[in-house]
Parts: sequence; C-alpha cells; structure tokens
Amino acid sequence: MQPIQDKDFDQLFKNAFEDAEITPSRNLWSSIESEIVPKKKRIVPLYWLSAAAVLLIAAVGLLVYQQQEVKPKQFANHVELQKAKPIIETSPVSDSSKTITTPVRKVDQVLPSTTQHVEAIAKTAVKEKVRSLGSQKQVTAPEMQKQEIMIAKVEEPKKDIKAKIDEAILQSKDETVLASNANTISIDEVVGEPDHAENKGIRNVGDVVNLIVNKMDKRKDKLIQFRTDDDDSSISSINIGPFRIGKKSRK
Amino acid sequence: MEGCKAGDRKMQELLYKQTVSKMLAVCMRYAKDRMEAEDILQMGYIKIFQKIEAYRGDGSFEGWIRRVMVNTAIESYRKNLRSLNVVEIDEAYEQPSTGFDFGTLGMQDLMKVIQKLADGYRMVFNMYVIEGYSHKEIGETLGISEGASKSQLSRARAILKEEIIKMEGFGYATYTG
Repeated sequence: MQPIQDKDFDQLFKNAFEDAEITPSRNLWSSIESEIVPKKKRIVPLYWLSAAAVLLIAAVGLLVYQQQEVKPKQFANHVELQKAKPIIETSPVSDSSKTITTPVRKVDQVLPSTTQHVEAIAKTAVKEKVRSLGSQKQVTAPEMQKQEIMIAKVEEPKKDIKAKIDEAILQSKDETVLASNANTISIDEVVGEPDHAENKGIRNVGDVVNLIVNKMDKRKDKLIQFRTDDDDSSISSINIGPFRIGKKSRK
Repeated sequence: MEGCKAGDRKMQELLYKQTVSKMLAVCMRYAKDRMEAEDILQMGYIKIFQKIEAYRGDGSFEGWIRRVMVNTAIESYRKNLRSLNVVEIDEAYEQPSTGFDFGTLGMQDLMKVIQKLADGYRMVFNMYVIEGYSHKEIGETLGISEGASKSQLSRARAILKEEIIKMEGFGYATYTG
C-alpha cells in the first residue's frame, strides 16, 4: 500500500465532483415553489401595505389641507363676485365700447384701402349687430363665465351671422359704412345708458370680436381673447387692443 | 435570470431544472445521506430565489448558485452542531465498510466514502479540497482554529484513503503506483 500524495488524492476528488450531477429522487420543485410563493406573498404585501398606508395618509392630509385652504378662498371669491358684479359689469362697458370703437375706426380706415379688409370688417360689423341681438337673448344666461357665453354665442349667432355676412358681402361698401355708423350710434347709446342688458351685450360684443378673431386667425389669437378679457378692466389703450395683441402674438 | 429576478415562476423553475442535479451533487458531499442533502438543496434554492437580486453578475451565475448552496450546507452543519453536539468522530472511522462494489472508482463511490465521514471531517475536507477554502477561512467559518482545520483535513484524508483501499483493494494501490 503505497502512500499517495495529498495533492493527487485531493485532485482525484476534485475531478470526480467538479461536474458531478445527481438527479433528485423526488420532485423537490413543488415544495420549493410552495416555500417561495407564500413568503413572497407575505413579505411583499407588508411593504405594499405600509407604502399604501403612508400614501393614503399623505393624500388625505393633503386633501384636508387643501380644502381648508380652498374653502375660505372660494367663499371669498363668491362674495367678491357678487359684490364685484356691478363694478365688473360697468368696467367692461367702457372697455367693450372701446373695443367696438376700434373696428369702427378700422372700418373707416380700411374702407378706402382694400376690398378684402372691407369685407372682413363688414363681417365684424354685421356680427356686432348679431351680437347685440344674441346678447340680449343671453342676458338671462348666468354670470360672467366667458367660456359658456362664448360657446352659446358661437352656436346661436352663426346662422344669422352667415346669412348676414352673405348679405353684407353682396351689399355695397356704403351699406357697410352705414352699418359701422349704426354701431357708432349704438356705442353712443351704450356710453350714455349703461343698462345691464346693454352692458352684457357689449361684453358679449367684445367676446364675440375675439371669437371672430379666433375663427379668422385660429389658435394663436385665442390667447388674445383671454388677454383682452383680462385686460378689459384696466387699460384704455387696449382700444386697439385685440388686433394689436393679435399682431404681437403673430410676431 | 432576469425572469428569476422579476420573480417569474416559470423562469425560476427553468433555472431550478437546469441546475438541480449539479447542486444536489454539491449538497450530497456535505450531507450524511440523500435526505439531508435534499433538505439542504431545498433551503439553498429558496435562498437563491429570495436573494437573486443580490447577484450582480460577478463571476458565473452557476458559481454564485453553488456558493449559496455551500453556504447553506455550512449553515445547516453549524445548526446541527449546536443542537446535536455530535462528533464521536472515531465512530465513523471504525464503521465497517461492507456493501461497496469493488470496481472502478466513480463519483458515486467517492460520494459514499465522503458521506461516511464524520460531519466535522466532511466539512473541512469539502471546503478545503473541493471548494478551495483556506484553513484560515475554514477555521473562521466553522468556529475552529486553523490548526484544528489542518489536523481534521489530514485525518479526513487518512480515513478516506483507508475506506477507498477497503473498496478497491489492490486496484487502488496499483493506481497510486
């Protein structure tokens, strides 16, 4: 019995076991799987539950916080709106009258220059008439929210506008001039008589002007609408406002 | 592997099926018998699927799985040490070696011989010879001194040689030259 070197002896075992494979006698996978599943299901939900709880608390807290902050503001807004209504109504009167005066001026200016502009102005003039009609209809419409009013106008006056536009186009320039004159008269009336109906109508007129601008110039000028509406209350120089702002936005 | 990380059950089963026979061979070396080996195997796979996210792609994936298996086996041994307080080492040494087929030395034979070793000897022999641990690492892992690891290794070798000679008779003597 010769002694074997330790290295060789070790190597014998190493070689034998290096790629050794023994197939399991029983199906161990099912038991392994059953061990994996419940642990994962138990462990993961704990994390998820805690995370969900934290989120819920945070969300509820935020909601409560916001509501507490918002509620007084909302009430304040309502109160302000109700109180401010007359003020706001009166302020658009001046502004809208200014806005109305602008197209009229332009009619005067543009009429001599180009026929296309004249047509466009004629449209606006006719629409302004329509607006006054539509505005009277909508006087009953609630409140100041411009979008609703705008939509209503867009739907209702369209037919009339189209019809009248066709007529206006067919008609001569003199008639459009007359229309503009009529508008100026109406403006005078507005200035002289700040009635609620007319005020709202004038507001509507300003809004409708914006609508027309939107139709003609599309999305870029929608911004102008808002700006003009927002700016109505304050600045008088915006008389030329809608169109100027339109030009700015176009730039 | 990505599927295993994501917890895809089918991918996990595929990984299991691809590696189970090799891993069972690893576990068998550390166990007394097949039952114990399969217990270790099961624990090892559960660990693997739970800790698979810890595998960062250093070295081969199979090497990582094998390491988890070996660590599981060592852990199991240490638990048994505490609870059983075994180690009548010479008992295994004295055991009669009847029932072996005399013939060529295959892996199965060597496995049987290793499994007959006392637990402590088997651990040191496996860790040093097959897994390539140093005596220092073995001592730290098993909670014994470096010298104890060395002496147990030489003792394990001696027992194994004796068993193999019993198995092979003169065949092994001629093999060694």
